[in-house]
Order: sequence, then structure tokens, then C-alpha cells
Amino acid sequence: MEQQIDENLRRVYSDTANEPLPDRFTKLLDQLRQKERDKSDTSPEDDS
Amino acid sequence: MTSHTDPKDELVEHLPAMRAFAMSLTHNSATADDLVQDAVVKAWSNFDKFTPGTNLRAWLFTILRNTYYSLYRKRRREVADPDGTMAGQLSEKPEHDGHLAMTDFRDAFAQLTDEQREVLVLVGAEGFSYEDAAEMCGCAVGTIKSRTNRARKRLAELMQIDDDDELEMTDAATMAVVQGTNAS
Repeated sequence: MEQQIDENLRRVYSDTANEPLPDRFTKLLDQLRQKERDKSDTSPEDDS
Repeated sequence: MTSHTDPKDELVEHLPAMRAFAMSLTHNSATADDLVQDAVVKAWSNFDKFTPGTNLRAWLFTILRNTYYSLYRKRRREVADPDGTMAGQLSEKPEHDGHLAMTDFRDAFAQLTDEQREVLVLVGAEGFSYEDAAEMCGCAVGTIKSRTNRARKRLAELMQIDDDDELEMTDAATMAVVQGTNAS
């Protein structure tokens, strides 16, 4: 029973996990990186 | 030091899983994505507290669940009957048997408590160890084990009670779950 529940769980779960990532998250990460870059302008660059 | 992989670069790989976890907690894709966004921002400003080499996904999941419990759970209760609306949407008759079985399962899953859904995702779907899950949830390993067992049992019960009239249409896996309870 345990196995079958987990099987269903993984199917439902992977439905969402396999969806393409919405743009808002790539944009968010870009923004966070940009903010970090602005902040560390005074320190030596760590972005290669 | 700069040659070491920056965990920030790996964050994006965990976003799909974070969305799935958030979805299982909130049952609403818009809220789930808001929750993930909040968790990502929080993680970003706390990356100095992440120990490189340890489980990044576990760390991110911990932040996500803490964000959920501190902000979203309350919000969700304040919204009138989000579960009822969701359950209504989810129980619409789909065309395929396989899909129906999935919505049955989702229906039942949505009726579990936050703690039960959480532990099933962490242990059942993500495959975290009981020890990791215990650390992430801030409770004892024994608590996680018994919570997992109770959640599985409850899930099987819910599917049996709620889907009596649809049993003939569910797929083999779901049938087996239901029969498993009967047999025990």
C-alpha cells in the first residue's frame, strides 16, 4: 500500500515539477543578481 | 574560492521542485508561485548561512516551509473556503480514466492536514530520509515516521470513502491502494 501511495504521490508531484518554469522566476533571479552586482560595485568583481 | 560552484547558480535547478512542494502546500498555483518567490528572495539574502556541500534542496525546502507556516497558512485560513473551491474544480469529470484516478488522489491529498501533506511530499515524493525530513520540519525522527504512516493511512481511507461510486473507473494503482486498506 505504501508503495502505491508513493507512486501516486510522485506522479501528482512530478506533474508540477515537470512544468516549464514561469518567466517570473528567471526574471526574479536576474533581478537578484543585478541587485547583488550593484551592491558589490565597490568590492572586486566575483562574477566571471 | 571562485572556482567553487556557487549555490546561487544551482538554485534554478531546484525551482521546479520548490514549485511542486509549494503547490502541495497551497493547492493554488498562483499562491504557490508567490510562496516560491518569497522563499527564493529569503534564501538569496541568507545564502551566507548555507553550508556548501550540504543538501541545497533540503535547505531551500526548509525555507519554503517556514515561509509557508509563518505567512501563508494564516492567509489561507483567512480566505473563505479555498479548499472547497479547489476540490470543486478538481472533481470535474475528466475524460480519461488515468486522469480521473489522479484527480481522485489529488482530492484526497487536499483533505490531509498541512503536516501530513508536507511529510508525504518530503518522504514519499522527494525521497528525503526520515532524518532529513525531521530536521527540515524541526521535529523528532519518530514524529516524522508516525506522521508519515498516519498520513498514508488517512489518504487510503479518504480515497476509499470518497470514491465509492467511481471505483470502477480508477486505475490499477489507485485500486491497489484502496484494496490494500481493505486487506489489512
